[in-house]
Amino acid sequence: MSINITNVGRRFARFAALKRINLTIKDGEFLAILGPSGCGKTTLLRLIAGFDTPSEGTIEMEGNKVSSPKHHLPTEKRNIGMVFQSFALWPHMTVRKHIEFPLKHHQFVNQSLRKNMEQRTNDVLKIIKLQDLAGRMPAELSGGQRQRVALGRAIAPEPKVLLMDEPLSSLDAELRIAMRSELQEIHRLTGTSIVYVTHDQGEALAMADRIVVMNQGSIEQIGTPQEIYTHPRTSFVAHFVGKANLLKGSWQGRRFFPEEAAHISWPDFGVSKELKQESIYPVRPEQFFIRRDGGEIPGTITNRQYQGKAMRYTVQTAGGSRQVDTDLTDYFQLGESVFLVFKTIPLADAKEVETGRSENVGESV
Amino acid sequence: MNHPPFFFYGKGRVEPRAIWLSFPIRTVAFLGLVMLFVWPIARLVALGFTSEHGVSLENYQRIFSDPLTWQVVANTLVISTGSTVLATILGLFFAWLMAYVNLRGKKLMQLFIVLPFIIPSYITTLAWTQLFNENGILAQVLALLPGQVHLWNLYSYTGMIFILGITHYPLVYLFTVNVLRKIPREMEQACRASGASKGVTFCKVTLPMALPGIASGAFLAFLAGLDNFGIPAFLGIPAHISVLSTHIYQQMIGFGPDAFGRASVFSVLLGVLALIGMLGQWLLQRMFKVGSTASIDRQPRDQLSGFSQRFLECTVWLFFIATAMVPFLAMMMTSLLPAYGLTFTMQNLSLKNYGFVLFESPDTQLAIRNSVQLALVTTLIGSVIGTLFAYNQVRRPSRWLKMSETFMSLPYALPGTVMALSMIFVWMEPIPGWNPGIYGSMTILFLAYFTRFLILQVRGSVTAVLQVDVSMEEASHVSGATGWTKWRKILIPLLLPGILSGAALLFLTALTELTVSALLYSAQSKTIGVVIFSYEQAGYTMLSSAFSSLIVLIILIGFALLALAQTLWRRKEGGHHVH
Repeated sequence: MSINITNVGRRFARFAALKRINLTIKDGEFLAILGPSGCGKTTLLRLIAGFDTPSEGTIEMEGNKVSSPKHHLPTEKRNIGMVFQSFALWPHMTVRKHIEFPLKHHQFVNQSLRKNMEQRTNDVLKIIKLQDLAGRMPAELSGGQRQRVALGRAIAPEPKVLLMDEPLSSLDAELRIAMRSELQEIHRLTGTSIVYVTHDQGEALAMADRIVVMNQGSIEQIGTPQEIYTHPRTSFVAHFVGKANLLKGSWQGRRFFPEEAAHISWPDFGVSKELKQESIYPVRPEQFFIRRDGGEIPGTITNRQYQGKAMRYTVQTAGGSRQVDTDLTDYFQLGESVFLVFKTIPLADAKEVETGRSENVGESV
Repeated sequence: MNHPPFFFYGKGRVEPRAIWLSFPIRTVAFLGLVMLFVWPIARLVALGFTSEHGVSLENYQRIFSDPLTWQVVANTLVISTGSTVLATILGLFFAWLMAYVNLRGKKLMQLFIVLPFIIPSYITTLAWTQLFNENGILAQVLALLPGQVHLWNLYSYTGMIFILGITHYPLVYLFTVNVLRKIPREMEQACRASGASKGVTFCKVTLPMALPGIASGAFLAFLAGLDNFGIPAFLGIPAHISVLSTHIYQQMIGFGPDAFGRASVFSVLLGVLALIGMLGQWLLQRMFKVGSTASIDRQPRDQLSGFSQRFLECTVWLFFIATAMVPFLAMMMTSLLPAYGLTFTMQNLSLKNYGFVLFESPDTQLAIRNSVQLALVTTLIGSVIGTLFAYNQVRRPSRWLKMSETFMSLPYALPGTVMALSMIFVWMEPIPGWNPGIYGSMTILFLAYFTRFLILQVRGSVTAVLQVDVSMEEASHVSGATGWTKWRKILIPLLLPGILSGAALLFLTALTELTVSALLYSAQSKTIGVVIFSYEQAGYTMLSSAFSSLIVLIILIGFALLALAQTLWRRKEGGHHVH
């Protein structure tokens, strides 16, 4: 189902939680809404779910208006499913009862599903791999199993849209990674649109077809994971998603002259006009080399963190501290004087710049 | 578009259609609340200013110039304050034991501590008087001792202070125990690490930090002392020691031309004292709210050695045996004697009193029927209305609801005699010149119970609703279930244990109510409390003992059944959460 969100705002007393949001969710896509806590992503999800009403703007589902300040279609009349952050399992119902519940009550359940409720329940239990635990109570399940029950309850009535509010955040790190592929599989199996709210950029990049990055109630950028990662539109996105170092300098035509190394210049590999206006060049940690014997920007190693696949160094330069990832074979001492060198950009990114696929977000106040 | 502030529901749960629908409902409900809860008190105050000559201060002048008035006020203050001191010492001691010390069997101790909450205070008083009876076991034991040892006369100031104190210490305990548990143990450890001894740490860190909680509990004990009618009625009236609550009662049953006016003035006096107490308690509560987010730490902090541990445990159990078991045994012994004054021997035992109470006396049968009926109706209606109110207050808080809660807590916070009196004045003639016959029937008792105890259910239900996360309901909405389906399948099953414990408290309180009933009953609407009281007043102590023993038995059985039901319920939900 396609969802159109037009100029939506939400104010709580004087605080504007959402400011003029414009967004279209396409049929069948996996859309992640990514942002730090308090950026308004959950508020937006609750507006789509119908738990809350916008202070301005409209939300349409398949062309029908469902939310505006004066018009409100209650949650149960929207063809949606939802997975809650806390899972919201009912402690007095078994796993099977949880799956059956929406099959009995959801208003958009296909007649054939309702007639073959037992069959459908078994199918869903199979999808969430809990056939053997159907008689258990929520209290008797592990975190991952509860997560699957919540998922099963949401997909059982075959809703057109699945809303997920940080569904993995209450699981431990290992399980979180494992659940990613399960969620992707469910997306492929059901073909529903998924709106997935998260503050974990790894999750968003790994699973989503498109990512909406939000900050302070506004949309910063909308794009594919690759666009968001390699071509951030704003300094916030560059820092939040790519952990990029934001280097100050000056733009002359299509070349950038960093402040701390005025004798060199870097080519424009698709830096957005917003960043250019701020005279910023974003360099992600893996885009720097560290050299001992001369290079572009001089600096001193001040910190070192072993990360398994790479080593992350903090390098203090004239312009501030820079994060740099290197191979494990490059080993530097704390306090060592080094030079940073900007890597040549991979070919794939350069092609994208020429075709200019990055989506224009429109205005965001 | 901005919603006006009081249409702004918490957690962003705005349901626009509900606003228009609920506005007239709210207005009507609000007016109803004012009529039921506020109007009676206004009428009561107004009555004090009316005399044969219209509006005047005559009643006040006459009562304030009577030295007896000040004697009664002084009695009230002395007895309430004295019992508060005793309750605070006991409550604090038990709170410290339960929160900090490594004792065994704390769960059972906890039950004994809250026992005074479920056994009506007039039955406790009766039990103690039987223990200290001239022919009771204590007297028999003392007779064996050499020399002339006189039994303590409970029908005295100290007797009343003692019984009030041991009845109200659970209030201080309940307020203090979690306050103590919330004090981060690091605070105490920091003091110890700075070189202070255990004792100094307790006096310099623990006690000052717990003070708002302790003082708040002490204020409640003081209020409970002002409010109590049963204890001064059983002990004070025979000894001609009047406190305000019994004095008001005596004014009312004495009738006379200016009885209502005088009773009203005394009620205002008592009401003002209670308000001062409430104000103090409210201020302290506000002060303490700042630190109330700290988590509760149930691990004992003072690890005692084997000997001290056993010594303390023995002391605690001796206290429980002496206060919660022996007096009731004494009462049971009295109830088994065929005539007063006989000594307790095997030959003398008989079930005659029980036979009379259960099968012969029309009074007791009527009273049991009335009380059960009143308690059931009050509990049923109260739990439905109270839960609906609590649900709205938690999910859609507004100024209206906040104010309504204050109204509802007024009749419970005000002393029972004051509240009963105001009910009489309002329902005798709700509209001047129209007497619907409510006063003198069961209806006025029901109205009084309902208005007085509704807040108990509201508080129980609020706790229950707070424990159900909003997402539980939202998940139900997403699954397509709203309205009655949502309540039936999700909310009621989740709320029921909480609602039930609120309802059980409401039921027990209503079943054995005395204070309000003593002023409102009529020949046909006697209640359990009233019958026990009138047996006692007429000198039929064996009958009142038998009836009281039965009631205690019923209460304990009911309590055990409730505990059992709750355990089974928890087991059904799979017990502890697996993390």
